[in-house]
Amino acid sequence: MVAVAPQTAVRTRRRQTRDSDTPTVGRSVAGTIFANLGGLIFSLVMFFPIYWVVNTAFKPAPEILQYDPTFYPHGFTLDNFKSAFNAPFFQRDLVNGVLITVGAVIGALLVGFLAALAIARFRFYGRKAIILIVLSVQMVPLVAVLIPLFLMLQDYNLTNSLLGVTLVYIVLILPYTVWTLRGFVQGVPRELDEAAAIDGASRFQIFWRIILPLTGPGLVATSVYGFIQAWNEFIIINTLNDQANQNLMAWLMQNQTSKGTFWGPLMAGSIMTALPVVVFFLIVQRNIATGLTAGAVKG
Amino acid sequence: MSVVDSPPAPPAAAPAPGATVGKRRRTTGGKAPYVLVVPSLLLLAALLGYPLVRMGVLSFQQIGLRQLFANLPPENVGFDNYTRVLTDSVFYEVLTRTVAFTVVSVILTVLLGLGVALLMRRVWGPVRIVMIVAMMFVWAIPQLVATQTFRWLVDSDFGVLNWLIDRIPGVDFANHSWFASPIQGWTVITAIVVWAGIPFIAITLNAGLTQVPKELLEAAMIDGASAWQALRRVTLPILKPLLVIVTTLSVIWNFGLFTQVWAVRNGRPEAEYQVLATWSYSLAFKNNNYGLGSAIAIISVVLMLGVMVFYMRQMFKIGDVD
Repeated sequence: MVAVAPQTAVRTRRRQTRDSDTPTVGRSVAGTIFANLGGLIFSLVMFFPIYWVVNTAFKPAPEILQYDPTFYPHGFTLDNFKSAFNAPFFQRDLVNGVLITVGAVIGALLVGFLAALAIARFRFYGRKAIILIVLSVQMVPLVAVLIPLFLMLQDYNLTNSLLGVTLVYIVLILPYTVWTLRGFVQGVPRELDEAAAIDGASRFQIFWRIILPLTGPGLVATSVYGFIQAWNEFIIINTLNDQANQNLMAWLMQNQTSKGTFWGPLMAGSIMTALPVVVFFLIVQRNIATGLTAGAVKG
Repeated sequence: MSVVDSPPAPPAAAPAPGATVGKRRRTTGGKAPYVLVVPSLLLLAALLGYPLVRMGVLSFQQIGLRQLFANLPPENVGFDNYTRVLTDSVFYEVLTRTVAFTVVSVILTVLLGLGVALLMRRVWGPVRIVMIVAMMFVWAIPQLVATQTFRWLVDSDFGVLNWLIDRIPGVDFANHSWFASPIQGWTVITAIVVWAGIPFIAITLNAGLTQVPKELLEAAMIDGASAWQALRRVTLPILKPLLVIVTTLSVIWNFGLFTQVWAVRNGRPEAEYQVLATWSYSLAFKNNNYGLGSAIAIISVVLMLGVMVFYMRQMFKIGDVD
């Protein structure tokens, strides 16, 4: 199924380009029908793996382990969820994950918003240098610096602790936070600042009464994206911490390596692990999409 | 606009305020911006800058279990780690594999993403919504969960993919193991990466396509341009900045491939499945050879530097047009 995906899409692409790109000129009915069909097939292929996870998670073990798969759970059960939830370390890793992620998001937001303000609202020497730093560190894969990070945190007794990994996660999401918030702050018309300043508002008042409320949605979107990044991370925490201080993603990774794979609980665990991320993502997806491409197309 | 096209490097040497009175540009805010920026810079310096420097130092040292446990100071070995890596044929195999994967996966993701974006302009509203919803779900799925999902889909005994292929008359795919042959295994890994990468590109490019003025396309059509010409000469040039950015980002992301390989191979990738990131990690944390691992990490970053600089120039071009 998956392997088929590329070909279908390529074919529809060619068909698309051969036809017309304009909404009004030169559109054939057949082409439109093909395009719609292609779009539906594409959606089906994309969504199939997700459907299959859900399908598997609600099946009893014998139904999972049969050669002819069933396309909906005949013997609907919640056992997989129960056994994943009660599996060793699951609940502990869940709590750890929430603590670390929330801590990292708050930390990055507090620190990053200040920097975003500076970059978006002031002209100062070194501004471009700071933008450069923010953009470039975003591209240094943290896995690449994991070696010195591990040795360094070890020196300060910050391995095997939630604090150490939270600090690392702040840095993990900080560049994105600064960069995105910068865009949102820029979205607040400067004229509002100036008007308030003329009315005698102090710089802090301008920030508190004008910029902060108007960037509210942006703050939410940015923190949700930060949440997703921190929640999804497992390599760093897996390397820095012992088994008692992991998060859910790391649980999901370790769960498979122990003894064979119990697909039912693994799929149920995957759903529970991914659920907060998926829900958050779908809520703010509009903001994320615009955040990533903000300014890329000059409107 | 004067700032826009200058290469990003020069301002890095940030002159102290007032140092360059002669070429003074207008600044605002006095000390405030510096105060605001300090906490971020401190954090980045402590947890990213310093480790980067230390990684550089490590790459010139011999540091392994013996040094760690006996608390011995690491031994300086000069360029030994680099010589070992660069004269090792395994390095070139891993490098070739990494580059090949990057090229194939990026081309596939960008082409398919562009195709889907164009398709989205063509289909009926409800179908477009179905496409967007499907892609949003895919986009939202964490990498590790996606990888576990695909592992299950291609499971040799009970995977639905084998079952589906087995339906084709004359094909026997029962108990087919996808990871026995590296080519097939890499096909699976590429499929995971491309599947997960399409939504970002398609949705971003689709957003870009909505900015292409209809009048331009209609004018092109009236002037007798074919659909292909309209795409080549009108749509793509307007889309180019976005295309460049999503492509560069994909290159950076896919070159750093780690999670999918790691999870698919149960945290112990065989030689045929090693890429630069996993190899460096394995050497450091499985073989406890931190010096060698660091050298490989440094080499990887240096190899990516060109692409990164290019990306930043693009972002500066776009980002500074305030």
